[in-house]
Amino acid sequence: MQILINGKTVTAQEGETILKIAERIGYSIPTLCYADGAKHKSSCMVCAVKNTQNGQIIPSCSTVATDGMQLDTESDEIQQIRLMSLELLLSDHRADCEAPCSMVCPKGLDVERMLSFYDAEDYQAAYDVIAGAFQLPEVGCDSCKAPCEKACRRGTVDEPVAIRKIIHEVVDLFADKTDLGGKDKFNIDKKLFQSKLGRFSDDEKERLKETVTTKSSCLHCACSGKSDCKLREYSSAAGIKRTRYGLSSTLPVMQKEHVTGNLWFEQAKCVRCGLCVYNSTNGFTFKDRGFGMQVVIPTENKGNVSEKLAQLCPSGALYFSTKTPVEK
Amino acid sequence: MSCNCENNGQQTLDQTIAKVDAIIGRIGTERNVIIPLLQALQEEFSYLPGDAIERIYEKTEIDRAQLISVSTFYSQFRHIPYGKHLIKVCTGTACHVKGATNVYDSFRRELKMDHDNITTNDQLFSIEKVACLGCCTLAPVVQIDEKIYGHVLPGKVNEVIDEFLEQEIQQQKATVKKTKSRVPGEIRLGMGSCCQASGSSDIYKELHKTSDELGIDVTIKSVGCVGVCNKVPLIDVVDEKGEITRYPNVKPEEIKEILHYHFKPGSLLKRLKNNLFNRVDTYHTDLTWNNVIWKPENERTGVINSFLSEQIHIATEGYGYLAPLNLEEYMGHGGFNALKKVVSEYRPNEVVKTVLESGLRGRGGGGFPTGKKWEMVATSTSPEKYVICNGDEGDPGAFMDRMILESYPFRVIEGMLIAGYATGANKGVFYIRAEYPLAVKRIRAALEFCREKNLLGKNIAGTNFSFDIEIFEGAGAFVCGEETALIASIEGERGFPKQRPPYPAVAGLNGLPTLVNNVETLSQLSFIINKGLNKYLKIGTDNSKGTKVFALAGKIKNGGLIEVPMGITLNQIIEDIGGGVEGGEKLKAVQIGGPSGGCIPANLCDVQVDFDAFNQMGAMMGSGGLVVLSEKDCMVDMARYFLSFTCEQSCGKCTFCRVGIRRMLDILDRLCSGNAVMEDIDKLEELAINVKKSSLCGLGKTAPNPVLTTLKYFRSEYEEHVQGLCKTGTCKDLIQYVVTDDCIGCTKCAKACPVDAIPYTPYEVHRINTETCVKCGLCIDECAFDAIKKVPIKDTVASE
Repeated sequence: MQILINGKTVTAQEGETILKIAERIGYSIPTLCYADGAKHKSSCMVCAVKNTQNGQIIPSCSTVATDGMQLDTESDEIQQIRLMSLELLLSDHRADCEAPCSMVCPKGLDVERMLSFYDAEDYQAAYDVIAGAFQLPEVGCDSCKAPCEKACRRGTVDEPVAIRKIIHEVVDLFADKTDLGGKDKFNIDKKLFQSKLGRFSDDEKERLKETVTTKSSCLHCACSGKSDCKLREYSSAAGIKRTRYGLSSTLPVMQKEHVTGNLWFEQAKCVRCGLCVYNSTNGFTFKDRGFGMQVVIPTENKGNVSEKLAQLCPSGALYFSTKTPVEK
Repeated sequence: MSCNCENNGQQTLDQTIAKVDAIIGRIGTERNVIIPLLQALQEEFSYLPGDAIERIYEKTEIDRAQLISVSTFYSQFRHIPYGKHLIKVCTGTACHVKGATNVYDSFRRELKMDHDNITTNDQLFSIEKVACLGCCTLAPVVQIDEKIYGHVLPGKVNEVIDEFLEQEIQQQKATVKKTKSRVPGEIRLGMGSCCQASGSSDIYKELHKTSDELGIDVTIKSVGCVGVCNKVPLIDVVDEKGEITRYPNVKPEEIKEILHYHFKPGSLLKRLKNNLFNRVDTYHTDLTWNNVIWKPENERTGVINSFLSEQIHIATEGYGYLAPLNLEEYMGHGGFNALKKVVSEYRPNEVVKTVLESGLRGRGGGGFPTGKKWEMVATSTSPEKYVICNGDEGDPGAFMDRMILESYPFRVIEGMLIAGYATGANKGVFYIRAEYPLAVKRIRAALEFCREKNLLGKNIAGTNFSFDIEIFEGAGAFVCGEETALIASIEGERGFPKQRPPYPAVAGLNGLPTLVNNVETLSQLSFIINKGLNKYLKIGTDNSKGTKVFALAGKIKNGGLIEVPMGITLNQIIEDIGGGVEGGEKLKAVQIGGPSGGCIPANLCDVQVDFDAFNQMGAMMGSGGLVVLSEKDCMVDMARYFLSFTCEQSCGKCTFCRVGIRRMLDILDRLCSGNAVMEDIDKLEELAINVKKSSLCGLGKTAPNPVLTTLKYFRSEYEEHVQGLCKTGTCKDLIQYVVTDDCIGCTKCAKACPVDAIPYTPYEVHRINTETCVKCGLCIDECAFDAIKKVPIKDTVASE
C-alpha cells in the first residue's frame, strides 16, 4: 500500500507503524513510551504526527498505516505539540539532572560526585575528583565564598553539607602522597537541559531529614539515571530551558528505592509510560489513576523483575547503581 | 470486631477465609473476573480486607500487580474500613450549583470530623463525595445508606442525621396486616430513584398501611420514572370509573384522605367508622388545611401538563402507566412486536439498512451514526460477536440512562436483541454503573422474565436466532463510558482506552467484533421498527433524527427528565417545559453535555437541539445533562468544577489528559482564588486547545470544552477574576461577608452560624468575624432584613 508522508509517497507494508515507515525514509521522530521490541501502549505523545485528511493528532509509535494515509511529521504544529508534551511531562518530573552544588562551582568541581565517593568511603576516588578540578595542593575553596554550600539542597532541609570541610578532610588524607596517578577530570555539560526539582514542601523536608542519613548528609540530588535519559535528550534538542507550567507532583520526591541487584527506582522521575509495567510479570504495576497515577513496585514483587528493565526506562526513574543504599 | 483475644482473632481469620473461598467458588478464579470478585468481597466485608486479598492471591490467577492496578483504579473499591453508615454527598453539576460543597462541609462539622478523617470517632458514619446520584432535580442531594435525602440545606444537616437515626429505630417495629375488600381501580406511583429520594417509598408504605387500615384492597402499582421529578412523589389514582386524578407532591399524611375520597371500603360498618375517624383526623390536624386534594384540578395538573406538552415519548414510551417489570403489560402495549417482526420478516442486512436510513445517531455523546457501527460489525464473518449496552452513565448531571434502565428495562432488552439479530451477534452484556443498584436489580429481573418467555436464550420465539445477555457492573470510573475502556474493564483491566483502529467493531471484547451502543440509542429501535421509517424520519432535524432525553436541572422552575424531539430550541425547553428560571432570575447560560460539553450563553439559546449545531458552538450533546445557570452562577467556577471532575476521572494514560488537565486546573484554581495574572488566561486557552487536539481518547478530547466555551462567551469574567472580582460571589476566596446598617440586631444570624463567627449581640448591628467565617451562606439565608452581603475582598465597597 502507498501512503504520503510530508508529501512524499512511500510504500508501506501491512501492519507497519507510521514510526517505522517514517524512520525508514529518514525522518526522525522522538519517542519516550516506545522501545523497539518491547510491549508498549502509546501514552507520552512525544511521537505525535498529524493525519492531514481528518486533522487528527495520532501517536506514530502504535498507529498502523492504512492505504492512502496522508501524514505530516515535521510541521511547526507537530513540533509545537511535541514540545508541549515534553513541557507537561517535565512539569510533573521533580528531579535535578545535576546537583545545584556542582552547577555553581567556579572551578567546575563535580561536588556531588565527589561526595558520593566519600559517602561510599572510597576516599581515593573522591580525592581523584578533587584533583581533577583543583590545582592541588592548592585547595580551590580557600579563596572561594562557597556558592556550593549556599546552593546545597540539604540546606533547605536542615544544614547544608559542610562541603569545604569535607574537601579538606579528603585532601588531608592524601597530603603526604605525591604522585597519585590518574586524575578524574570530569566536566558537566551545562548546555544540556537542566531539570529542576523546585522547592521542598514541609512534609518532604521532614521526611528527608529523617530518612537520608549519609555520612556527609548529602541528599545526592544529581540524577543517577541521567546518562541515558531520553527526556533530557529531547528537552535539550527542543531548546527547553525550563517548563512554563508550575512544577508540582504527587510523587514522593527523592525517594530512592532499591529494587533488585543493582536496580534502583525513583518514583518522582517517572513519566508513567508503563514500559516497566508492561514488560514485567507481576512486577511493577500502576496504582491509582489520573494525575495521581503512580508506578509502584510492591516489596513482594521485587524478585519478579529483571535488572534489564532499566534499559527501557526513558527517564532517570529506573537506573543501575552500585552505590550503597542512601535510604533505610 | 473489637475483641483483641487471640483465639477469636484466629477464628475471625478462618471465617474470613471461608467467606472468601465461598465467593471465589461462586465467581471464579480467572484473571478477568477480578472486578466482580472484588465487588462481592466488598459487599461481604464493606471494604477489601488484607486477609481476604491474600487469599485471592493464593486461590486465583489474579496476582498482586493486577490487583493493585485494578483495585486502585476504580473508585468503588475501599481499602480501609468505613463506619456503620455511609453518607454520600452528591457533587454532581446540579448539586454543585446549589451548594453541595457547603453541605459536605456542614456534615463534616456536624459530625465533628477533623483533618482528613472521613469516619467519625465512634465509627458510626463515614462520608464521601460522589460524582452524581442522579437525582439532579432534588439538588442538593445526600444519600445515607439506602435512603436518599433531597433539598438538603447546610443548616439542616443535623435534622437529616437525626431523621435517619430515628428511622433506623422505627424500622425495627413490625406492621400489622388486616383484611381488606377488593375494589376496582388502581393507584400508580412513580418509583424511580428520584421519586424514592423524595419519599416515594414512604408514600408506598403509607398507601399499603392506609389501605389496610381502611380495608380497601386497591391495586397499588409502582410504575417507572414519570419524569416530573420536581413534582414527586406523584401518584395517579385511577378510580372505579377509570378516571385518572393526578396528585403531585403528595405527603404521607394526605394519603388517607385521598384514598377515602376515591374509594369506598367494603362493609357499611367500616365505612361509617372510617368516615368518623376521617373527620376527627381532619379536624385535629392542621396538615389538611393546605391539602392538595381541595385545590382546583387545573392548579394541580396545570404545571405538569405544560411540562409534558412539548415532549414526545419514544425511548420513554409507556411513560407513567407501564410497570417496569410487568412483561405481560409491556407486551400488551406492543412490546417485543418489533423483535418478532424483525426475526420473522427481516433479513439481518435489512435491519441494518433500516437503521442506516433512519439516520439514528449514538446517544452516548459523540453522535456517531448507529447504522454505520452496525454495518461494521455485521460485515465481520466471525461466528462469535458481542453487543454491549453502555449504561456507564458517568456525567455528573445526567441520569436518563438510569431512568430508562429502571423504568423501561424490556425496551432496552428488545433493542439489544434487535441489534444482536442485525449484526449476527449471540452474546450481550449490560454494562451498568455500580452507583445504579436499582437499575441492576430491575434489569436482572427483566432478563429472567424474558428467559422464561423464550425471548432470550436459545431459538428465540421459535426461530434460529439465539442470544443471551449478562450483566456487568461498572466499578466507578467515568472513562469507562469510552467504549475501549469499557471493554478493558470487562476484561479485568484498568479502564485504559486503546488506540483505535482497530475499532471494537473489528476487535473488541476478547478480541471479537463488538457493537457498543448506548442505552438510549437501543431504546429508539423498537419505535423505528414498529412505527416505520417514515414516521421516525419526520421527527427531528436533517442530520439529527428522533428524540433526545435530557435531564433538565439547575436553576429551573420545573426540572425533570424530558424527552423532546430533535430540533426543539433550548429556549422552548427552558420556558415551555421548564417554566423558566427558578426564582425569576435571569438566564445566563445553559450547560449542556456535562464535563464533555459546554456553556451556551442565553443569547444563543434559540439554537435547535441538534448534534452538529451543538458541536459548532463548541458544546456537545454529550450524554444529555442540561443544567440551567442563572445570573448568580459564576462561569469560571463552572469551568473549574468540570475540570476538577475530569482531572479526577482521567485514566492517567496519556500526557495531555493526565498532566495537561491538571495544569489547566492549576490555572483555574489560581483564578478562583485571585492569584492569577492576565497571561494565565492565554496559557489556559493554549493548553485547552492542545489537550483537545492531542489527547488519546474522547475524555481528554472533550474535557477542555467547558473551559473553551466559557472563554469564548464569558471571557470578561475570567478577566474580572484576575482583578480579584467574582461578581456572583461564588468564588469564596474573593469575597467576604459583611453586615450592613440594615441590621436590627435580631441575632438570627448569630444563632445560625455554625462556626460562631457572629457574636451574640442583641439589638446591636451584628459583626462577622472574617477570620472564622467559612462563608457557608447560612446567615444570608436566615436574615430577614437582607442585611448581610458578599463583598469583594479587594475593595470593601459593596458590589450589587
